[in-house]
Amino acid sequence: MRVHPLTGLAVAGSTAVITTAAASLPLSLAVVAAALGVSGVTGTLRRLLPAAAAVLVPLAMSLLMVHGLAFPEGSTVLAAWGPARITSEGLAFAAERASLLSAVVLVLLAWSFTVSIPDLVAVLSSRGVRGRLGFVAASTLTLLPAIADRAVRIRQAQESRGLVVRRGLLHKVAAFRLQAVPLVLSLVDDAGTRAAALEARGFSSTGPRTNYRVVPDPAGQRLLRAVLVLAAAAAVAARLWPAGTGG
Amino acid sequence: MAEQNRPALAAGIRHFAFHDGGAPVLGGVDVAFAPGTLTAILGTSGSGKSTLGRLLAGWLPPGVSGSLAGYLELAGTRLEFSGSGADPRIDPAQWGRHVGFVPQDPAAVLSTVKATVAEELVFGLENAGADRAAMQAAVEHMSGLLGLRELLERDPSRLSGGQLRRLAIGCAIITRPHVLVMDEPFASLDAAGAAELAALVRNLVQEGTAVVILSQAAEQPLLDADTWIVLADGTVRASGTPAELKAAGKVPDALCRGASQAAPGAGVSRVRVGAVPALELRDVSFGYQPEASRPGSGPFRRRQQSPASRDGRPDVLQNVNLAVHPGQIVALTGPNGAGKSTLLRHLNGLLRPGSGSVLVGGADISGVPVGVTAASVGVLFQHPRDQLFERTVQREVAFGLDRIFPRDEVGERAQAALAAVNLAAAAGEHPAELSASRQRLLALATVLARRPSVLALDEPTVALDGAGLQLLDSAVRSAAEEGAAVVLVTHDLVYARTAAHRILALEGGRLTER
Repeated sequence: MRVHPLTGLAVAGSTAVITTAAASLPLSLAVVAAALGVSGVTGTLRRLLPAAAAVLVPLAMSLLMVHGLAFPEGSTVLAAWGPARITSEGLAFAAERASLLSAVVLVLLAWSFTVSIPDLVAVLSSRGVRGRLGFVAASTLTLLPAIADRAVRIRQAQESRGLVVRRGLLHKVAAFRLQAVPLVLSLVDDAGTRAAALEARGFSSTGPRTNYRVVPDPAGQRLLRAVLVLAAAAAVAARLWPAGTGG
Repeated sequence: MAEQNRPALAAGIRHFAFHDGGAPVLGGVDVAFAPGTLTAILGTSGSGKSTLGRLLAGWLPPGVSGSLAGYLELAGTRLEFSGSGADPRIDPAQWGRHVGFVPQDPAAVLSTVKATVAEELVFGLENAGADRAAMQAAVEHMSGLLGLRELLERDPSRLSGGQLRRLAIGCAIITRPHVLVMDEPFASLDAAGAAELAALVRNLVQEGTAVVILSQAAEQPLLDADTWIVLADGTVRASGTPAELKAAGKVPDALCRGASQAAPGAGVSRVRVGAVPALELRDVSFGYQPEASRPGSGPFRRRQQSPASRDGRPDVLQNVNLAVHPGQIVALTGPNGAGKSTLLRHLNGLLRPGSGSVLVGGADISGVPVGVTAASVGVLFQHPRDQLFERTVQREVAFGLDRIFPRDEVGERAQAALAAVNLAAAAGEHPAELSASRQRLLALATVLARRPSVLALDEPTVALDGAGLQLLDSAVRSAAEEGAAVVLVTHDLVYARTAAHRILALEGGRLTER
């Protein structure tokens, strides 16, 4: 079944909202697993994991530092160095927040890596989003694959002239050091030429715009989106209601 | 009648300079293109013709990209420029409705957000608000004209060089502009593609389009042009009908390619048959993975299954056998998209065969890192932009030389390689700022400097002017004389016949002798 880009967005967005509102460790872990599963099935896992790690590892580390070492409500002390003390309650809280954050980031990244960019551009355009804005939105999602693609080309050029890239992350990082500067320079050069081509093909024209690509939007998916939006709103309301009544 | 004679596009350029403070790149250029005419602007590398083409096409808007003193006239409206801030500004979108442009690098026109060739074709029509039925009709018409019908559902980023050029031409003419400017349009097209393009140009001219072709060589299809304009050092040196210019001897020799009338294989080095082949392919089969719908997911995914692919398309290479001996030059031809570049990428291991093996100097290279095989196999990519990545010409050639030669020899070898392609004086320049011809020669120098035992050259003649072609030719011959095995992929049969011992055709995944 072809998933409409907005349906995918609604699934990802509502899942993120409901998971945040629920703030439950099992639910967060289930969402993490589901996001990884979807990514695995669609063959995007290899690209998703590095991107997710880049966002989540520093955040998880900082949560651990803040809550793991200094959690005033913590009473079960596991270790202590002067004023810093590790409590099991602090670690549990850090784990819960980290898993919640992971769930939200992964579900949104999984959507961004699986959505069909041409479908998204066509839908945004048909919904009255200006071409330029739609392109920027799409480019944001295509940027990483495009950079990766260009980096591969540069690496191949360098390998063809004797650069030996051995297996292992450290070797790859060391090799990437040689590709970073040419990568940035070629992307800048590319952007200039591409801009001229897009302008000349009427991309910035202000008149009406049409779409060649037809993105089907079955009634079932429209209904699903409405249900998901309502569910997300209900989850937020349920979360705020006890707080509002002092519960 | 006056309407008929009014040029569709005209330019009077007293001088044009980029904003980088350099000397003017164009000056003393007065050109006019009437509806229903074919004009060829001929100039060697660095003559300023690509700059002129981009200026005419609105891709270099005066004031934004550079400073123009002179005028541009489109559809009867003349815009005067003095190089000051008060100059009029060109709207590239409006300009683009009247003037279609096919740049030298056809990949530059791709929007990068379209999933299929059909969608890329109609991008300009979408932006003009055309209705869907009209777009469908235009796709049908255009794909038939350009031989793209079989490729309409393909991902544009996975087309071969020649296929991409056809797409770029389609993108430029689908909005039916009054003027069409094409920069080296015949480069990398196979014989059928070149003939189809020549016919297309004739049709467009008959329908009233002013067609302008920029070229480094007075190629066969340009003999029919109404006017030739010879450009040198940024200025118009001569203009007139081809017959007039030829009679007056105003066409420089450097613009006449394929001048060498040598017999096939004449003058080429002696092949050292009997020794172990420098390069050998044994039963090599290869097919790409079925296309994913997502663009930009990498062009070089591969699939191990052979011989028939899962999506029903046959393998690109099917049981290919080839032996190339030291000193031997083998030319590889075939239609666009036949898999010639794919085959070439197997020679140093950038692609690995699904089945079969590649041997260099008698040793199987499977499992050997590309960087190690690179000491024996030098590959010239089809697009110099895929090959060049350094900040200066000198650094570009010197890259990786320290891995095969003693450090104190690196500078000397880099200089010698640059001198061999006449680029010694450009050692400090940025590769991206060189003309297309010089970029290709620089890429060639990076390969030659390594003294490989196998030279694999992908479309080496594309974008070279006459002088460049001579440099290439002598470099290839001297490498072969010194014992290198050379495999060159080319559509330039004239060159292949003069330079190669053997000419092979790749078609339907198989190699045949021509």
